Amino acid sequence: MMMKFTILAAFVFSFALATGSSGQAQEIEVEKVFKFYCAQCHGVSGKGDGPNVTEDFPVSPRNFTNAAEMNKLTNADIKNVVMDGGPSMSKSPMMPPWSKTLSEAEVDALIGHLRVLCNCKGKEG
Amino acid sequence: MKLTSALLLALALTLWSLPGHADTAAGEAAFTANDCTACHYTDGPAKEKTIDDQLAKKGPELWYAGSKFQREWLEAWLQDPAPIRQMKFNSVTEFNAGDHPKLAAGDAANMADYLMSLTSDAVEAGVVKPKKNAKGRLIFTKKMPCSGCHQYEGRKKKLVGGRSGPSLVGAGMRLNPDWIYAYLLKPEIFKPVKAMPVFIGLLSEKDMKNVASYVANFK
Repeated sequence: MMMKFTILAAFVFSFALATGSSGQAQEIEVEKVFKFYCAQCHGVSGKGDGPNVTEDFPVSPRNFTNAAEMNKLTNADIKNVVMDGGPSMSKSPMMPPWSKTLSEAEVDALIGHLRVLCNCKGKEG
Repeated sequence: MKLTSALLLALALTLWSLPGHADTAAGEAAFTANDCTACHYTDGPAKEKTIDDQLAKKGPELWYAGSKFQREWLEAWLQDPAPIRQMKFNSVTEFNAGDHPKLAAGDAANMADYLMSLTSDAVEAGVVKPKKNAKGRLIFTKKMPCSGCHQYEGRKKKLVGGRSGPSLVGAGMRLNPDWIYAYLLKPEIFKPVKAMPVFIGLLSEKDMKNVASYVANFK
């Protein structure tokens, strides 16, 4: 009986460890993906101030920390613009289409990250 | 007989000493001696599988340098390495310090020979001709976000464009036009993990050639 309990406890403990580490890994990966692909225009902290935003840059990349602006967008709007680029939402072609570069799971994770940056839930829809 | 041998030897030595006929083995030795391997790897195929792999690199991979660069530019650049990237390699927060080591003329010639010997079969020769390609220009400057990350010479020779990608000012002197096309067409061969979007399926092969032709015309 004691043996069975020990095995069960060990199983539960390792499951909890695995779940915890995988949850954390997912979060770190999203930040890494954001910094690698998005920060060049949107900035490391998402304020729209990446190194590409020179005085000649034709548009202002979205500031993800602006909750009022981010609340005007549904998650589906964001997904469209990330996957298919600015023109898919009548925005600037400076926003690239990432559909052939990022997986859908990475884009979904990025949307979650943007919602953390804006501390907002966005428009429903 | 002796005279013929002596003449042949003299001819061989003369050819050997001409510019452009430097020593590939000496170039490889100089590459190692100058610790270039600390930042650049020269044995392909591409090793990067994750963002971490890409970020671990301190400089661009050179295993296809002979397919990518033009020899004359390479030899000159190794002696006077003006920054090609405005940002430090792999960084979106730090600027390029412009501290790439300089080589003496002899080492630069040898190393250019060595690097030009590193080629990729994925680059087909003679496909792209540099031109003021109107379709390529439209795609580069208006339809796609190329100028968002790459600096280039705009109207009235004003330098415009972004900073995160390598500058394309003078790209026609630096890059092999066929490599530019191959890079757009087969990014997984050259840079499997990169901050530049993949355009396969978004641009036709014909339009990739148009863009390559336009960029290869940058002087």
